[in-house]
Formats: sequence, structure tokens, C-alpha cells
Amino acid sequence: MNELNAPTTTPQPAAPTTAQPAQDPAYGPAVGLSLKEKEQVRQLEGIAAEKTARDYQHIVLAYGVLWALFAGYGIFLWRRSARLRADMNDLRRTLDRHPPGP
Amino acid sequence: MRKLLPDLCLVAAMPLLVYSVHRVFLETPNERQMGTAFKIFFFHVPMGWICMLMAVVCGIAAGVQLRRRSTMGAAVALAAAEMGFVTGLGVLLTGPIWGNATWGTPWTGDARQVTTALLWLVIVAYLLLRHYGPRSSDRLAAALAIFGAVNVPIIYYAVKLWKTMHPSTGVVASLPPEMWASFWPALSGLLLCCLGLFGLRIRQLVLAEELDVAWVQAQDRA
Repeated sequence: MNELNAPTTTPQPAAPTTAQPAQDPAYGPAVGLSLKEKEQVRQLEGIAAEKTARDYQHIVLAYGVLWALFAGYGIFLWRRSARLRADMNDLRRTLDRHPPGP
Repeated sequence: MRKLLPDLCLVAAMPLLVYSVHRVFLETPNERQMGTAFKIFFFHVPMGWICMLMAVVCGIAAGVQLRRRSTMGAAVALAAAEMGFVTGLGVLLTGPIWGNATWGTPWTGDARQVTTALLWLVIVAYLLLRHYGPRSSDRLAAALAIFGAVNVPIIYYAVKLWKTMHPSTGVVASLPPEMWASFWPALSGLLLCCLGLFGLRIRQLVLAEELDVAWVQAQDRA
């Protein structure tokens, strides 16, 4: 009878010992990644960081757009100025042909 | 002296702009997370501020023009709108380039992007009305300019009012000293350059108006 009352569940293995939390709160244990995967992630992060630090394509494009805009507006003003000067010369010639009366 | 002010602004802006580009590229360290793309910030932010300033100037000048029928008010409003168009386009182009480098997408449709695009479209509408509209469209154009000026505080507070990925309004104040030392020459150089071009354009518009009057008188005489 005592044998029937004995627990039927299989003995559980001892709980794995959890890793001691790191002293620095910025570092936590990496869960669910093998060592190989961790190394791959670290490598990819390194490549991304290097690309971020050396990628000048965006800046060249942004600064190019910026200076092109100002140069374009400068040219627009310069052409307007030339047109005004020509208009003023025409007016002078017209006034010379028809001087103001007494 | 007053007539020379735009030229003086442009002359003062040139060395400042050269110095700021030198500082941004050669003296300023890369930002830790954004890397080189952060260097766009030094001209993107001043252009945004200048665009908002010009929208406010345009709105006030349009209001003056509407109330007093002032030729000078009309010239100032048009010159400010043109400068706002240039700087607004600069902001709307450099922003997505920066966003593409840091967020991975040029346009997230966040509140500040949308409100800035709206301001730029209002400026475009104002310019189209002023250049191609009939004389009677002056009132409508002025109303548009005032609407644009009202939009400016909404742009400024958009990052506080709505959830957004855009950096907050306090980002400039929180810059480290070496970045701050690069930011102020870029801001002052760009501001002086824009004020110089703005002054030149006002001068042109006033001169064009005076020439029109002189032509009418000359033709009457002939």
C-alpha cells in the first residue's frame, strides 16, 4: 500500500544554477544565443559602427543640396538684377529721346 | 549705410560659412550613435529656424501690406517668402537624407515633418498667388502668409504635442561644448547669408516698383 502511495512523478533534475548578475548594470546575461551567434552579432555590430563612422555619402548629398539651393537663388537674384539694369537703361534712353518739357 | 547692409551681411557671412564648414568636418567629433550623419544637423537646424523666422516676417509684412497698402510691406513679404521657400526646401531635403541615415527611412510622417511640409506648401501657394494671381488676389495671398506664420509655433511645439521620432526642442541646448562651438558659426553664417540675400531681394523689388512708376510717367510724357 505504501508503494501505491509513493509519488509517481519522475524526479526532477536539480535546477540549473543561475549566473551571478554582473556588477555593471549595463551588462546582462545573453539569453538564447550560442557563442557563435553572439560572435556573429558582435561582428555585424562592429561593421555597422564602422560604416556609421565612415559613411560620408549622406553628408556629401545633404551639403551638395544645400549649397546648390543657395547658388540657385543667388543666380536667380543676379539675373533679376541684370534685367532691372537693362530696364533702367531703356528708361534712360526713352527719357533722353523725350526730355521733360518746361 | 542702410543700403549697404545686405552687402555687408553677405561679406561677413562668407568667412563664417567657410570657418563653420571647416569646424564641422575637421574639428567636430562624430556623434556616438549617429556617426557622420549627425554633421547634417549643423546646417539643417539653422535652416529650419531661418525658414520659421522668414514665415513669421512674411506673415507680419503681409498684415502690414493688407492694412496700410504699403509697397515696402509687399516687398518684404515677397522677399521673406522666397527666402522661406529656399530654406524650407533645404530643410525638407536635408532632413530625409539625415533620417535615411539614422532611422533607415527618409520619411516617417511624424508631426514635425508634416507641419514643416505644410508650411512650405503654404509658402509655395503664397508665391504662386503673388507672381501669377491678379491684383485682387493680394488679400488672399496675405491671408495665406498669416496662416503660414500661425503654423510656426505648431511646428516648434510639434515634438512636444505629439509622439515623434524627431529630436526634441532642447537638443541644441544639450550639445557638448565642441559641437556648440561648431553650431554657432554655422547658425550665424547662414543667418547673415540669408539676411543679405533677403535685403538684396527687397532692394530689387522696391526698385522694380519704382521703375514701373517711372515707365508710366515716361510714356505719359511721350
